[in-house]
Amino acid sequence: MKVPIERIRNFCIIAHVDHGKSTLADRLLEATTTINAREMREQILDTLELERERGITIKLVPVQMKYRASDGLDYVLNLIDTPGHVDFTYEVSRSLAACEGALLIVDAAQGVEAQTVANAYLAVDQGLEIIPVINKIDLPSAQPERAAKEIEEVVGLDSTEAIMASAKEGIGVKEILEAVIRRIPPPSKYRQGPLQALVFDSTYNNFRGVICYIKVANGSIRSGDMVTFMATRRNFQVEEIGIFGPEMRPVDELGPGEVGYLICNIKSVEEARVGDTVTSQRNPAPAPLPGYRKVKPVVFCGFFPIERDEYPQLRDSLEKLQMNDAALFFEPETSTALGFGFRCGFLGLLHMEIAKERLNREFGVDLVATVPNVVYQVKTSGGEIIEAHRPSDFPEASLIEEVLEPFIKVTGFLPAEYVGKVMQLCQDRRGVFLGMDYITPQRARLVYELPLAEFIIDFHDRLKSVTRGFASIDYEHSGFKVSNLVKVDILIGGEPVDAFCFVSHADQAYHRGQEVVRKLKEIIPRQLFEVSLQAAIGKRVIVRQNVKPLRKDVLAKCYGGDITRKRKLLEKQKEGKKRMKQIGRISLPQEAFLAFLKAGDEEEE
Amino acid sequence: MRRRNNTRLEPASPVSLYVHIPFCRSKCPYCAFYSVIPTPGAVTAFLEALEGEIGILSGSTDRPRLRTAYIGGGTPTLLSPSDWERLISVLEGAFSFLPAAEVTVEANPGSLTRKHLALWKDWRVSRVSLGVQSLQDEDLLAAGRPHDSRQALESMAEIKRKGLSLSVDLLFGLPCQKLRGWSDTLRRVLNEGAEHLSIYELTVEEGTPWGRRPPRNLAAGYPFYRWAQYYLEKKGLLQYEIASFSKPRRWCRHNVAYWSGAPFLGIGPSAWGYDGTVRTGNVADLERYRWLIEKGIRPTLFSERLEGKRRAFELSVLALRTRWGIRLQEYRCRWGDQMLKELQGSLEGLPPHLFRRTPGRIALSKHGMRVGNAVWERLVP
Repeated sequence: MKVPIERIRNFCIIAHVDHGKSTLADRLLEATTTINAREMREQILDTLELERERGITIKLVPVQMKYRASDGLDYVLNLIDTPGHVDFTYEVSRSLAACEGALLIVDAAQGVEAQTVANAYLAVDQGLEIIPVINKIDLPSAQPERAAKEIEEVVGLDSTEAIMASAKEGIGVKEILEAVIRRIPPPSKYRQGPLQALVFDSTYNNFRGVICYIKVANGSIRSGDMVTFMATRRNFQVEEIGIFGPEMRPVDELGPGEVGYLICNIKSVEEARVGDTVTSQRNPAPAPLPGYRKVKPVVFCGFFPIERDEYPQLRDSLEKLQMNDAALFFEPETSTALGFGFRCGFLGLLHMEIAKERLNREFGVDLVATVPNVVYQVKTSGGEIIEAHRPSDFPEASLIEEVLEPFIKVTGFLPAEYVGKVMQLCQDRRGVFLGMDYITPQRARLVYELPLAEFIIDFHDRLKSVTRGFASIDYEHSGFKVSNLVKVDILIGGEPVDAFCFVSHADQAYHRGQEVVRKLKEIIPRQLFEVSLQAAIGKRVIVRQNVKPLRKDVLAKCYGGDITRKRKLLEKQKEGKKRMKQIGRISLPQEAFLAFLKAGDEEEE
Repeated sequence: MRRRNNTRLEPASPVSLYVHIPFCRSKCPYCAFYSVIPTPGAVTAFLEALEGEIGILSGSTDRPRLRTAYIGGGTPTLLSPSDWERLISVLEGAFSFLPAAEVTVEANPGSLTRKHLALWKDWRVSRVSLGVQSLQDEDLLAAGRPHDSRQALESMAEIKRKGLSLSVDLLFGLPCQKLRGWSDTLRRVLNEGAEHLSIYELTVEEGTPWGRRPPRNLAAGYPFYRWAQYYLEKKGLLQYEIASFSKPRRWCRHNVAYWSGAPFLGIGPSAWGYDGTVRTGNVADLERYRWLIEKGIRPTLFSERLEGKRRAFELSVLALRTRWGIRLQEYRCRWGDQMLKELQGSLEGLPPHLFRRTPGRIALSKHGMRVGNAVWERLVP
């Protein structure tokens, strides 16, 4: 169906996790009969298996709906779903750039949450019309008036026209659709001219290559056209364009204001990055659409295959994943302990976990992820600045002038009774108090500056446990600052083992060194020798422990004439230890390393 | 008969013989050796089959000459004296025993009788290996043994009275076993005149009742083993193998033959044999064993030929079980300089106190025997 540009509405939904975004999206699809209710899987927009399981949205899946409004006219509504997590802020900002309006969903019982504010501000920043929706008003604990008050006081939006809704019960869905038509402007600022289409997301398909999700800003795009990606300067011929209904449906042309997909035999998302502008090769636009930037990973960790010979498979899988996820960074890495693997960079912890799980599920790669770390800037006495992605990038202690680490500004929304505990947690994590105010007498907003390194380990989990899950947080990067950091080496039998080395604040080095050595002592199997374990800063040993030698490793057993069995047992035993890492004269089974990393996990939980 | 070429023995070379008697009065919950509770007529049928197997095995060759023979099980004393007479005549008919042949019979307290002993003494039995396991009644109960300490003491006394050499099997690492009880057992067993001890550590094995349902409170083996090494040496016994201790020159020649890689014949269900090249294992099922023999087929289920590095490895591990260890000159002659270097290389850098190095030999020390597994593993090719 073709409608004039005045009857196109591009909008998105901003909501905190669990505030009912997916349910509302489902209701909108039903109400516009875009899909048959009976055919509909629950929460159809969250297509990745992982998303459905975690109840969060990672990839943006746009969908086109047709709607006959109360004025009797047919409208095309493009709903662009957005990820709700702070790791994907850049993707959110790009998808917002494809919209003219946004529905701001606030849970009537929970009120405004930290991420809601951050994303609402992003939308305001982009000049979007925002329609507040107070959802879940059917709940017994709903306090719609309080939620409305919070919208006004915390976000600063006029809530008099907020729509009261219950997506679950189907209340307010009609009103929302009408408000979208009435209050969100059509993409009228667009005009005919040289093609400019924003790539606001992309995904990879094994058969078709990269599928770009685009919004045409100016001009139009037809299949067969020759197009240029302005940031990467790559040229392609358009194979197919189409719209989402929500499944992909080819069309001949996408005009100004329209949202759809573009397929042109692109082999990697590297060549078609999110935020890039597509223009016509023959009649190029003078400038790209504003706002493109290359995303920079902030959290790093090593991925190593559990089976050594799965290295090529891990590489292929990472490459495939990267086709789908342009923010993923990786480079080969060798570890004495874990063998060949990759150092990977992520937008945040959630991004890292999702990548890990997707590798596991979609590509069937079993891997070990090392403890995540942040990027450090090390200034040497020679005046050089080294970007250290891992502890082993640190130069020798005597050459270090100073070390800078990334900091973040963390904003938390929490019930007033937990303020003390959360402040304590932040102080323990080297936090600097920036401010606090009360949104309502029961809810406080707390702002701290924290080193990112302290945040990525288990801050979320600790916060959840001290506030029983009643706090929500959001953060933004606030730049690199000098910290008193040291690199702690862990030595096994006198040999430093990179997998266990870490960077720590000088005050915590002893304590953390002790922790690591204690854990290793539990895990390292007894050897024929005594094995010394040490934590050291430069040449100075701060912790020392020993693993006693084996006492007994023999079975005084009667085999009869069945000698075969013993030989086979030994062969099996040896086979099991093939993955042993030789560190000096000590052999450590890989299981020790895995157990070490696992032990870390358990403590976090 | 197709295998005959593999198993044919040079008439000049005497061998060892193992006979498996696959019957027990009851099954011990930890035991993984093959045995069944006999039904009427089963023993007779088994002896018939055994004779049949010997017939298939020796074929037309001369009667094999025996250096050692070991009649184990199962519970050989579950055969009545008259069954034993039959067995003896079968063996005497099929084999030619060297004059100094060592003949060992396994016996269990509770089924061993004076008649057995008299019969054995008159035949050519030199050693009786008695399954005492423990002299603590609570241990015997925990291990599900069908006898008590009194019966064990009586059996030991009877064996000695007959002038037979007494060897005793003991178990350690039993549920709730105490070191006190263990030291008491060792002391009393030596007082009864045992000249040879095999101490076996309880292992929970698949396919046994305990494998399916492991008992709780299993005692860790280390203290028992350590104590035995200390105490038995003090009492003049030599640890000549991981699990074996003996008075000087009273070691079990039959077992030493296993560990030195010598050829041996194995007859009876689940018995193992080795002809110097091929190792064979008989079917561990009495019915199938009998059926195959009736059809004139050798009841072998398993056979493997070991060559090159794997054979060298197996022989090295076997040799390193014993106090005589590996004879370096012999090793070099057999496998060459390169392999000897590899052997020495793989043991290099290990703590020296694990080894007993005498000119031309390398063996495990007492300490080394305690961690033998970790040492042998290094030899795996």
